[in-house]
Formats: sequence, structure tokens, C-alpha cells
Amino acid sequence: MVKSILFFTFSTVLLWSTETIAPAALQEQCLQCHTTQHIPSEAIYRRYLMRYSSRETIKQKIFSYLKAPVIERSIMPPQFFKKFSIKEASSMSDEVLRRRIDDYIDYFDVSKRLFVPSGQN
Amino acid sequence: MYPSEKRSLYRFILIYLLSTLILFSAGSYLFYAFEKHHLLDRQREALKHEGERIQHQLMLLQKRFADKLPYPAKQPYESAIFDKNKDLIFSTFSLPLKINFAQEYSLRGRYLVYIKPIDPYYLGAAYLMIRIPVDQEGISSLQRMILLFMLGAGLFFVIIGYYLGRLFVAPMRESIERMNGFIQDTTHELNTPISTILTNLELMEELHKCNAPEEMQRIEIASKTLSRIYDDLTYLRLHNNYHRDVQPIDLSALIRERLLYFATAITAKRISLTETIESGVTLEIDRDDAIRLIDNLISNAIKYNHTRGLLAVALTSRELQVKDSGIGIEKKDLETIFERFKRANKSEGGFGIGLNIVSQVAQRYGFEISIDSTPNIGTEVAIQW
Repeated sequence: MVKSILFFTFSTVLLWSTETIAPAALQEQCLQCHTTQHIPSEAIYRRYLMRYSSRETIKQKIFSYLKAPVIERSIMPPQFFKKFSIKEASSMSDEVLRRRIDDYIDYFDVSKRLFVPSGQN
Repeated sequence: MYPSEKRSLYRFILIYLLSTLILFSAGSYLFYAFEKHHLLDRQREALKHEGERIQHQLMLLQKRFADKLPYPAKQPYESAIFDKNKDLIFSTFSLPLKINFAQEYSLRGRYLVYIKPIDPYYLGAAYLMIRIPVDQEGISSLQRMILLFMLGAGLFFVIIGYYLGRLFVAPMRESIERMNGFIQDTTHELNTPISTILTNLELMEELHKCNAPEEMQRIEIASKTLSRIYDDLTYLRLHNNYHRDVQPIDLSALIRERLLYFATAITAKRISLTETIESGVTLEIDRDDAIRLIDNLISNAIKYNHTRGLLAVALTSRELQVKDSGIGIEKKDLETIFERFKRANKSEGGFGIGLNIVSQVAQRYGFEISIDSTPNIGTEVAIQW
């Protein structure tokens, strides 16, 4: 019984400690607004991922949208903009913007989240 | 079993087994290829199902998109997902250097590899690669089964081939036996009259001083020819179980003696004889074997020579050479000239056993025979020891 409790505690601590944490700059310059305005950044990333697959294309598509946001260029459906207003063009420099996009992709990076459950490898 | 019968039987069995082997090998190969294909097909089908399962799981993971995404791995499959640019997203094994994304199924080393394009790109995966070890156990068991079958069939066909071969050579055996029976009966019946003629011929020459020397000479030649044929036939009939007294023989003296024996025939045909006989040449051989060898060479050189032709007999310590200026032998016949009952030229009488006896004697003592002949120029036979 004691062993089971110890194992459970250890596993929980381990899982908590490996949880993905967003870089401070990304949190401050991007995710913060998304959180406060309830704009689902994860759902947006998932849509990018499912449509464009490759990291390079996703980076390019996000960059071009953030530089000149229009509904037609957005990954989200037009209905989405009935609830959420379209954002203004980014004021960040290209270099900074690209770095934030990299952080954004790294934060949600699938290859870091995937793992082989023990006993199956 | 007679040598020719044995030879024919072996040839028949060899051809029969070779053709059967080729047929069965082709059949077995086709069966093996078909079964292996079938076996791999089953694995391909399993890979396809696994692909469907992983794709479904990726879809669920895409929906969930938690911090930790458990990859849907399942033994014995190993898999990997790639994005649209064929860059690796995640893999459960170390990947080979080169991956052919265009080929749906491929054999890579001991693995069967399956590439499945995924659309929509759940978790960004555009390609799914799954591999599974090829069912070597199944293939090995298939190979064992085919090998056992081939061995069993081989044994069966050897037995069948042997009995078929015996049936195949039976007529040959009968004809050889008939011929041998005939020779045996003939030799038995010829023995007494030939001996009587020769003895009385000598008596007539010595005691009665016959007034017809030419007629006597012809009778003598004919009788000696008959006597030699008798000796040859007896030799052929008995050569397998004939007791040999192998001892050093003065070959020089023996050749001179045999040339004297043939002197009447040589003179009658007005042949010029050249003897180059080294004195004191001895050879370990049975006397009767040596006589059969020498007699047949000289007799052929006389028989197939032209009137007023040339006959050269040369003896050295290493070789006996008999050369004539006769009708010669065609090149195509030279290879088979030593076969029994083989007669390259049928214009002269004979059974075609002379050179066969020469060949048998040479074979028994390990001598080498070389024959060189040109039609209408002559023949040269050399025996080396």
C-alpha cells in the first residue's frame, strides 16, 4: 500500500515537472492576450498543423497573416470572426516576430509532446 | 552388366534426373515464390490494418492535444511519422538513412516497410511509415518443406529412373548377349578345323614339298587370318576372367616374331616393311595381351594398306609405333574408332574388334594410345607406356 502511494506521488511530481512551460517572451507578447481574450491559441496551432503539416510552411503562413491579418488569410473559419475581432497587424520587427513564431511552434511542438507509453516499445 | 550397357544406363539416368530436376526446380521455385508472396501479402494486410489504427489514434490525439501525447505504438510494429516535407516528427525506432516515400510496400533488409500517406495531417503527420520483421520462421519452414519434398521426389525419381533405365537398356543387353552367344558358339566350332588346317599345312610344306607354293601361301594367309580372328574373339569373350601371367617380356623379340608370322601376308600384298626395333626393350605384360596388341596393329596396317604400300614398325623403350600408307580413317571416325564392332571402312572384312582389343589392352596396363590418320595417306598408331 505504502509502495503504491509512493509510486503515485512520484509519478504525479514527475508529470508535473515535465509539463510544457511557455517561454516568458512568448507568454508576454502573444499568449497573454490570447488568454485574456479567450482566443484559443492551441486550437489555432492545431488547425495550422492539420492544414500545412510542415514547420516551415506553418511559420511562413503565420508570419504572413500576422503582418497583414485578413479573414481570407486566416486559418480560422469566417464564423470565428463573428465572435472574435480580427487582430491588428503586428508591430514587432520581422526578426522578433519570427522568433516569437518559432517560440510558439516550439511551445506546441508535437514531437516534444509525443512519447511511447512504457510496455509498448 | 556390360560396360556399354552401364554407360547407356548412366546416361539415361543422368538425362532423366537432370530433366526431372529442372522441371521440379522450376515448379518448386514457382510454388516457393507464390507461397512467399502469399506470406508477405498477409503481412502487408496486417501492416495496412495497423496503419489504419495508427491514423485513427493520431486523429484522437490531434483532438485531445494534451501536454503528453501517448504515441500509438504496438508490438511487433515499429513506426514513424513525417511531415509534408518528409522531415521526421516522431519515431519508435532508429530510421534508415534512405526512405523511399513513393513505394507503398518495400523489403528493407529483414523488414517489410509500409508507407501510408495521411490526409488530413493529424498532428502534422503527412506520411506514416510502419515496418515489421519479415516472417522468417514462415519462410524457413516453407524452404524446409520444399527441400524435403525435393529430396523425397529426388529419391523417388532415382528409383523410378533406375528401373526405367533397366527397361531401356534391356534390348541392348539382349542383343549383346545374343552376339556373345554367337561368338562363343562360333569360336568353339572354329577351334578344331583351324588347328587342323594349320598343322597339316606345316606338315605338307615340310614333308611333301608341295609344287604349288602360291596356292599354299594363300591357304596359309587365310588360315592365319582365321586363327587370329579366333584368338581375338576368344580374347574378347574371356578377357574379364582370363588369367594373366604378367612378367617382363622381351618386346623387341616378340615384335620380330609377330612380323615373321605376318611375313606371308606382307609379301603377298608386296608391302615394303621398315623395321626400326630397338633391341632389348622389355615390358611388364601378359604375353597373350602383348600378342593381341601387336597382332591387331600389324594386321590392320596390312589389311587397310594398298598393294605395294609401306609399313613401318618402330619400337623404342617408351613407345611402339605402327605406320601404314593405307586408306586412312576419316577425322569424324577417329573418336569412336576404339569402340567394339566399329568399322570405319567396310570395304575390307572384319568384325571391328581389332582396335577395341588394342584399346582394352592399353587401358588394362595404363598405356596411352594416340592415332593420327589422313584418308588415302595413311594411319599412324602409337602406344606409349
